[in-house]
Amino acid sequence: MAGQTTSDPTQTRRSSRGAPTAWRPVGVWLARRAASAVFVLWAVATLIFVAIRLIPGDPAEAIMGGPGSQASAEALESARVDYGLDRPVGVQYLTLLGHLATGNLGTSYSLKIPVSEVLAAQLPGTLGLAVGAWILAWVVALGLALYSGLGGRGASAVGSALEIAAASVPHFWLGSVLVLLFSSAWRWLPPVSNGTVAGLVMPIVTLALPLAGFLGQVMRESMVTALNSPFALSARARGESEAGVVLRHALRHAALPGVALSGWALGSLVSGAVVVESIFARPGLGRTLLEAVTLRDVPLVTGVALVSALAYVVVMALSDLAERLIDPRIRGR
Amino acid sequence: MPVVPRPARPASLAASLLASLLVLTGCAGSGGPGGSASDDTPVEGGTLVYASGDAEPTCLDPHVGGNYPQALLAGQYLETLYTKDEEGKIVPWLASGAEASEDGLTWTLTLREGIEFTDGTALDAATVKANIEHLQDPDTASSTGYLAVAKIKSMDVVDDSTLTLNLSAPDSALLESFSMPWVAIESAQALERSQADNCAAPVGTGPFTVSKWTKQDSVELTRNEDYTVPVDGADHAGPAHLEAITWKFIPEAATRYAALQSGTVDMIDNAQPDTIKAAEDAEDIDHLDAPRPGASNRIELNSSKAPFDDAKVREAFIRAVDVQDGLSSLFFDTAERSYSALSSVEPMGYSDESAFERDPEQANRLLDEAGWTDRDSQGYRTQDGKRLSLTFPVSTNQSVPAEQSLFQQFQATAKEVGFEVKLDLLDLSSWYDVLGENHYDLVSAPYTKVGPDVLSILFHSSNTVPAPSGYFANHAQVKDKKLDALLEEASATTDADERQAKYTEAQKIVLEGHYLLPLYDQQNHFLYSTDLHDVGAMTAVASPTFHDAWLAK
Repeated sequence: MAGQTTSDPTQTRRSSRGAPTAWRPVGVWLARRAASAVFVLWAVATLIFVAIRLIPGDPAEAIMGGPGSQASAEALESARVDYGLDRPVGVQYLTLLGHLATGNLGTSYSLKIPVSEVLAAQLPGTLGLAVGAWILAWVVALGLALYSGLGGRGASAVGSALEIAAASVPHFWLGSVLVLLFSSAWRWLPPVSNGTVAGLVMPIVTLALPLAGFLGQVMRESMVTALNSPFALSARARGESEAGVVLRHALRHAALPGVALSGWALGSLVSGAVVVESIFARPGLGRTLLEAVTLRDVPLVTGVALVSALAYVVVMALSDLAERLIDPRIRGR
Repeated sequence: MPVVPRPARPASLAASLLASLLVLTGCAGSGGPGGSASDDTPVEGGTLVYASGDAEPTCLDPHVGGNYPQALLAGQYLETLYTKDEEGKIVPWLASGAEASEDGLTWTLTLREGIEFTDGTALDAATVKANIEHLQDPDTASSTGYLAVAKIKSMDVVDDSTLTLNLSAPDSALLESFSMPWVAIESAQALERSQADNCAAPVGTGPFTVSKWTKQDSVELTRNEDYTVPVDGADHAGPAHLEAITWKFIPEAATRYAALQSGTVDMIDNAQPDTIKAAEDAEDIDHLDAPRPGASNRIELNSSKAPFDDAKVREAFIRAVDVQDGLSSLFFDTAERSYSALSSVEPMGYSDESAFERDPEQANRLLDEAGWTDRDSQGYRTQDGKRLSLTFPVSTNQSVPAEQSLFQQFQATAKEVGFEVKLDLLDLSSWYDVLGENHYDLVSAPYTKVGPDVLSILFHSSNTVPAPSGYFANHAQVKDKKLDALLEEASATTDADERQAKYTEAQKIVLEGHYLLPLYDQQNHFLYSTDLHDVGAMTAVASPTFHDAWLAK
């Protein structure tokens, strides 16, 4: 960070030559990414496999009707055989890895259908919600950063206050307040998804605002630091307007920490989705996870965790790429 | 039916925090004209949008597992051999009658003729036999319906409309059992499909059929155009007025009510006390209060270990806590206090207010007599250096926020006489684990069943023995030979008066033994738009049916 605040990446671009050999680092980069993705997925699958066995309770019971089932000993035994739970733990673990390697996520204990089918049905809902919220969060955060950067000391204080407020609001509180105001009291928006754009407004806003607050805070900080840097001073000396300094030079600095936080932002979106999908009764992976945990549906929990891990790996790779595009200093690395 | 899972509520805190705000907005939002349909002629067509706060079933066939959310939905597309009329009497429905032999071991069941399932197959004796066999098949994994038909040992098809049932022991609750949606009759041809297929779209004789199930969103139900035989007492014969029902799942109570207020949905269930209160002022919303049958909502006192192995300590706890105050402040008087082990809709329920009068002085005296005479620095009673401490595991899936708050109030009033109550909020699986390990002194567990036979499930000593999963229903762990004998005799008798006498005596033993603290009926509140007319028809387990309902819009 310290290096970024004193030199302008737009200036260093001029000195960066040797573009023809850029493919080699890209190949290495891709290979490294793929390897780390496999490692992350393996680690997640292993961790869950171990954790599930540490929790008291019989998975056969989860298969035969869930908590409090009155399944007979014979019924439980036949479920154990059907799902391979009667075999040694080592064999179960290797079987799991073998299935995962071939893309087989197993059968849901509670729904008795392939986990991949459940995930395929629920992924689009969560993806749409998360992408919508992510875009809105960036727009709001950048807007606040620009407003703070251009508006002077007073605007900076207002921006800061708004960001802190947004960042500290829990999803469940924000969602409930929005429902009470916009659906119960004023009746402007439907409280649950009804297939229209209006039904998407409150869920996306609920998920986006806290994230926008966090992103806005880090972006504004870097922008203010950048505006006080020597390169900003020299740009002004060249006759650049204040808006030009902000848009052409400082914005790049502002965006970098936001991009670096993408992995964390994804985590916030996924955990937020659990709450938001429940409040607004939206189908999606968050609610699937919540219900799978309640019913101790091991394959489904594992499936959702693996999809989240995969999303994390992809987002980290994309944010790494984005950082390289924004900041030429790290391109050669 | 022991399990009534409600979805976990990550935002239940928000709901309680915002309860007061809700009341305000409820008042502000009731501007519509409402109740404008002065005309009582039913309107044909339209789609009813229903929002359920219960957990989305994992299987739409109530034979599999068997919980209340399944019963709520199944009432629209499946029908039962018997049902309950408006006076609470058990009456034939798909059956035309049933007669028991002198010894009560053989029943002859006759069926209505000319009834067809929505797949075109006919209802006959072989179909009923296949259904009972389906319930008894371990692969079906039925928990509720399975128990209801447990005494049926074998069946003989006499002719198309006559079936003989051979029982292992007399069962005076058999017809009540046949009225429950968990024992509903499905097409035998449909039952032969894979369980996954049958779970996705069970086939019955009801006024609607399952046409589409979008997981986590809704179940689409379409009118059965060939529907002919409604239950006796229905307003009209023939197909339903409504063309379709969209059955949505909205787990959050505040969202559900907002959806009703904004007109996104026409009816909601699981209405919470704050919402019911708010809706009282809304002109365009009506309230339906339909207590569930079976047991009352009660706190059971685990008599199998100290300190509740001493009846004096049990009575002291019951006399110490203040229930009425909580019902006013937390339930806004939407729940009426119960003094019975059974629901107020059970005709054989026995109520004894005097057994539950609050009397802290008496509680103190009883604890002194029981030897809990010392107090520690925090004011709790002790005996031989051991604190008078009670563990109270609470299932967050089965207790609504208002009830959890009520238990917290009990904590405070019990402390006044020297009890320490340790509340432990748990998810459903952990809760069952704790019960299975006998790590509890107090517990509240709902149990829905039709008829007083629920007493045998809750208080017969044989039900202190856990199933392989650890589940058992006699949480008070009552082991009383005289009580066991009474319950067995009540189950075996074919005489209604004798049955009533036996069950009354059994209830007296349980109440006078201070094994439980009744709170209120199992709450079952619905709110609906005044555009929706002729609501109120119910299955035997108080879940609404919509054959007569119509929408004026």
